[in-house]
Amino acid sequence: MDFVRLYGNIIKKNLAKGKIDKARKQIITGFKLENFRVNHLAKDPVPKAYTYLSSQTLKSTIDSLAHPEKCVWTNIFSPVEILQNFGFNCISVEAISSMISGFKIADAFIDIAESYGIASTLCSYHKNFYGIVLSGIARPAAFATTTSMVCDANINTFHTLAKDFNVPHYIVDVPEDDNEANIKYVVMQLKEMISMLENLTGKKFDMNALCETLKRENLSHKYFKEFMEMQAYKNYPNSLTLHMYTLFASHLQIGEESILKYYEMLKDEIKICPDIKGKKIFWVHLLPYYQETLKSYFNFGDDYYIQAFDMNFDYIEELDTEHPLEALAKKMINNVYNRSYQRKADLVVDLVKKLGSDGVIHFCHWGCKQSSGGNALLKERLAKLDIPVLTIDGDGIDRRNSHDGQIKTRLEAFFEVLKLQDNNNNSSEAAK
Amino acid sequence: MIGYMCKYAPIEVLESFGEELVMIEPHVTNFNQSDIMMHQNVCSFAKSVLEDVMEKDYDGVLLTTCCDSVRRLYDVLKANFPNKFIYIIDVPRKVNDFSCEIYKERIEELIEEYKKFSGKSFNEDEFERIVKAKSEAAKIEERAHKEEALKNSDGRVYKIGISGARMNKETLNFLEDKGVNVVFNVTCNNLFRDFYEEKIILGDSTKTPDKLQEALLKYSGKILNQIPCMRMVDAVNRNNYIENFMDEVDGIIYHTVKFCDNYSFDFARFKKFFNKPLLHIETDTTLGSAGQIRTRVEAFLESLDGSKGNELIKEKIKKKKEKGEKMYILGIDSGSTSTNAVILNDDKKIVAFYVLRTGAKSIESAEKAKDEVIKKAGLKAEDIDLIVATGYGRVSIPFADHNVTEISCHGRGAHFFNPEIRTILDIGGQDSKAIRLNEKGDVIDFAMNDKCAAGTGRFLEMMARTLELSLDDLGPTSKNWKEDIEISNMCTVFAESEVISLIAQNKEKSDICHGLHKSIATKAFSLLKRVGLNPGFMMTGGVAKNSGVVREVENLIDAPLYICEEPEIVGAVGAAVYGLDSVK
Repeated sequence: MDFVRLYGNIIKKNLAKGKIDKARKQIITGFKLENFRVNHLAKDPVPKAYTYLSSQTLKSTIDSLAHPEKCVWTNIFSPVEILQNFGFNCISVEAISSMISGFKIADAFIDIAESYGIASTLCSYHKNFYGIVLSGIARPAAFATTTSMVCDANINTFHTLAKDFNVPHYIVDVPEDDNEANIKYVVMQLKEMISMLENLTGKKFDMNALCETLKRENLSHKYFKEFMEMQAYKNYPNSLTLHMYTLFASHLQIGEESILKYYEMLKDEIKICPDIKGKKIFWVHLLPYYQETLKSYFNFGDDYYIQAFDMNFDYIEELDTEHPLEALAKKMINNVYNRSYQRKADLVVDLVKKLGSDGVIHFCHWGCKQSSGGNALLKERLAKLDIPVLTIDGDGIDRRNSHDGQIKTRLEAFFEVLKLQDNNNNSSEAAK
Repeated sequence: MIGYMCKYAPIEVLESFGEELVMIEPHVTNFNQSDIMMHQNVCSFAKSVLEDVMEKDYDGVLLTTCCDSVRRLYDVLKANFPNKFIYIIDVPRKVNDFSCEIYKERIEELIEEYKKFSGKSFNEDEFERIVKAKSEAAKIEERAHKEEALKNSDGRVYKIGISGARMNKETLNFLEDKGVNVVFNVTCNNLFRDFYEEKIILGDSTKTPDKLQEALLKYSGKILNQIPCMRMVDAVNRNNYIENFMDEVDGIIYHTVKFCDNYSFDFARFKKFFNKPLLHIETDTTLGSAGQIRTRVEAFLESLDGSKGNELIKEKIKKKKEKGEKMYILGIDSGSTSTNAVILNDDKKIVAFYVLRTGAKSIESAEKAKDEVIKKAGLKAEDIDLIVATGYGRVSIPFADHNVTEISCHGRGAHFFNPEIRTILDIGGQDSKAIRLNEKGDVIDFAMNDKCAAGTGRFLEMMARTLELSLDDLGPTSKNWKEDIEISNMCTVFAESEVISLIAQNKEKSDICHGLHKSIATKAFSLLKRVGLNPGFMMTGGVAKNSGVVREVENLIDAPLYICEEPEIVGAVGAAVYGLDSVK
């Protein structure tokens, strides 16, 4: 019995009948039940840090739906550190979308957005978010902010929704190159946004508190790097969903006390984990957490192990706590996805070498041109290192755009390639 | 020769080096190379540019950071053409003093880079001359355009505004051929380089570095202050600009490019903002979309003023009437799956109809359908007074006097069968349409499916084959469904493999059929929603014969669908009615 689908269908029915408050309550109840399950009933060997993170993630999502007045809609590159300073709960478009799609109801919201006129080829996270807001499930947040870089959909999604629903918003235009003029340009915008937030909330911005946030962020990154070093050989049990949850920590709540605690748990806990026995996979871009075949191979499995994915590494440099606004400007400008694709390819190559990965899977999410467009370049780079690459086309949340049969065949063929490499290596060893 | 593609590109700067700058207008038929070098889901325009650059001998390409696809296009070009000048200039998304200053600095960097690449030097006099000359030319063009608009104000010419993403030259030329006067064009490739002002001048004899800086700052300000495209933060001004023209246009054509999503946001708001006839067309920039665009544009223009009568035929019919002879109009609908012919007399009665499966050559099928229907009516070829063709093959039917799009014809046809009809769902062999009518049977809005076969008759045909059922069996088979199966893939090819795996799981055929019908109905429902769910629903086209699909659509719209006895001939009847109306 697929209880999630059953529950999702009930939500969909209420949605179709216009019983929006009821549907929202059911979604919130669903998240609360999941939180209870995660903490008390989970059967899988989920590490403590991930259980803790799951709870944080679910709480933030519930809050965004139950208390929109305390919430800010962001994208995953927004300077959340500033918003935390005003006591806001930051939730990104992608996060709300992804979390709600867990009820298997994304198709309903995506259809709402498409009938409104949004292109079917737009990123599903954004389409889904659009539908969620248009339907009334997510009520207007107190504020909305996005950055212009990396993803086209941001400016338009924020602009249009903020206009239609009268949400005060600020768009940070992030240029490509790291130079003095560009940093000044971004800092000026951050100051403008801060004064807007001061007017909106009646609270005074606290620069010292921001410095403290950045200090915690630096320490979090330090712990994360320690954890990653051990990911080269330690099997820290994970799943596609848990990998996706890590983005909450690395992007939306980074700098918060609770998240520093999470990173600390992470680096301590991995030390006592067993070694990885199976094939080590480095994942590029998003993970379709719901996909049956991928789940069956990767969730808490021993034979194939996903060590990490690139999105947690987009900027983990030390932030200058003496000049916090400049540091945030630099963080955005030097995000690895800004500027040329070569920077991302360099990062992947570097991580694959450090982690000793056996293969790379590049997931081309429907509608994401910036990542799909570089597919050939990435493959070429990794081919030079003799690292096998599998490209999977699919969708991070819309199940209709991922075909299980196709993914299964490709994935299993890829595993056969990895095995073949082993055999070849063994025979050349023997020849010596 | 250096190619460029965006109105924010500082082309005058490179022209001042003596280079020829060319707006890239790709003419591609496929994406064979770019699909491999990039990815199939990248914006089709970016891919066309890549194909074009590989085909033609550009010395360089000047790109802007306009969108994600173009940023990746730059990466791919840069990696593959190390000897060409491949440059991307980062255009700010905000327009203020700060961003103008930044953009000026980037233009200076471009100048330096080009000096290094070409060994040539930047000619300040040339720069001034070019900016000035273009400015003057732009002003002259604007004046001429206004004069032309005034000249053609007798109502015979369609006055159209164009918005959205770049529209290719072919489509613009086609509009011109159809007698369209473009009142405004705010797409990305419409250049109006009126950037010169006295203050920009470097001065005759006092050219100092400061003066050049000042001139470039003014120039960058002018570039950034153009009507904002959708990538700009302040794209709201677009609607204000367009609003000024609302009294001057008959309708607006909104163009979007497949996988370029920016403009769909604008379009969604645009629809609500302006109360003018609006046509949305989407192309993938290949030449393959030309046929569909033609149909849509023609239907739109028809909906703006209806068809024009033919004086000669009117004369002929008048004589016939005087002699007391009956008049016969033949409507022929040349579709991808069936060719349907109908003969109507001047009492608006159907004399005969004939339905034929379209063969490999649509002309032959049309000939045959014509001959057979005349035979069936007991008439001779010379008894037919007027032939009106519609459907995909309409333009290649040599014996037709007129051709009218199937969209307008379905409107007329539906009205003929039942004047209460306000919303038509037509699912044919290769496309599906939703059409909204007014009380006179005129088309006021319509929406068509995408280029693929998802949700069309062809989709059902393939699925029937997979299930080893005949097309006619699908409806009855689905009646006894028990398990509610969801076919999640809309793509025909994917759906086929999904059906195969359902068969492998021993699922009942009735349940699979029901799932397929539901998936078609869902697609149809969202198409209907695009034109509005106005009661008085009718379904036409071959798929209307499938009781399973009909039932599912009725469930979704929560209303009955009117279906006439021969749902396939509605278009042909409409064509004949069109003919009759045109000579009355």
